[in-house]
Amino acid sequence: MSLADIIYSLFSGYDMLFELAFAIISLILSIFAFRIYKITSESKSKLFGVSFLFISISYFIQSLFNFLAYSRLNEPICLMANLTSVNLISYYGNYAHFLFMIVGLATLLYMTFDIKHLEVLTFLVILSITAFIMSTNIYYTFYLLSTIYLSFITWHFIKNYFRKKQKLVLLVALAFSFLLFGSIHFFLSVNHQFFYIIGQILELLAYILILINFYMVQKK
Amino acid sequence: MNPKRDRLAIIHDMLQIISSRGNKMNPTQIMYKANLSHQMLGEYLNEIMSKGFVAEEIDKKGKKTYSLTEKGFGFLKDFEIIKKFFDSYGLN
Repeated sequence: MSLADIIYSLFSGYDMLFELAFAIISLILSIFAFRIYKITSESKSKLFGVSFLFISISYFIQSLFNFLAYSRLNEPICLMANLTSVNLISYYGNYAHFLFMIVGLATLLYMTFDIKHLEVLTFLVILSITAFIMSTNIYYTFYLLSTIYLSFITWHFIKNYFRKKQKLVLLVALAFSFLLFGSIHFFLSVNHQFFYIIGQILELLAYILILINFYMVQKK
Repeated sequence: MNPKRDRLAIIHDMLQIISSRGNKMNPTQIMYKANLSHQMLGEYLNEIMSKGFVAEEIDKKGKKTYSLTEKGFGFLKDFEIIKKFFDSYGLN
């Protein structure tokens, strides 16, 4: 057993808790953005809320399906659903997680473009979903798409930091940089479990920074 | 007044100015106090009315005055939080 395998086995199970934490943080951010939208009627705030709602649902699904796998509850579900393999349940769970996440990221990407054409958002979403349907390997497709989307989103937040030079903005730029590097590691992790752990830790750091930013925004 | 105000700051300034004098002000006063051009005043008044921040009143002589709505006061109250959130994510 290699060191990577030992670390992976120790880490196994905690990822489910991480995903649950990401889901809750994303949901808090989404609710807050909708509250701001109610006050300001700014469409970008609504788009932000929608995108984080999709991201939150995506993490809830991932956490739930990982829980089913660890607790072995997926076996009776597999029997009830008449599925040939428990792996199919994980596959469907990942499929739903990827779809919600990519729609959330596409909405966030659209928000960063300074345009008001909903056709562009529709186009992005349809293109992303089509890529999944046509794909022979949904894992590579998802991590490749999310890395591309996150590259553009992160660039928007980095530019925003250079314009404003504020601590709060830096936190967001760093958080999305971590999410981008995390996505790259997940892409590599399809065949190497160790990259999966690095990806999860980078994601955790990103969400901690988002949470710190949220706290500082609320502070009077 | 900060010469490099963003859109959100201009809206905030306009609402604060309107609310400062008994919550009633005519467009010329708003234009001068908020340091706006005539064109900008028209655009921003349309925007804050469409968002429901101010209500327009026209008297018998046809003169217009503007006053803050409850939503407008809500915006002023939470402005600091809104600004920090918008700045953080580049929503301006």
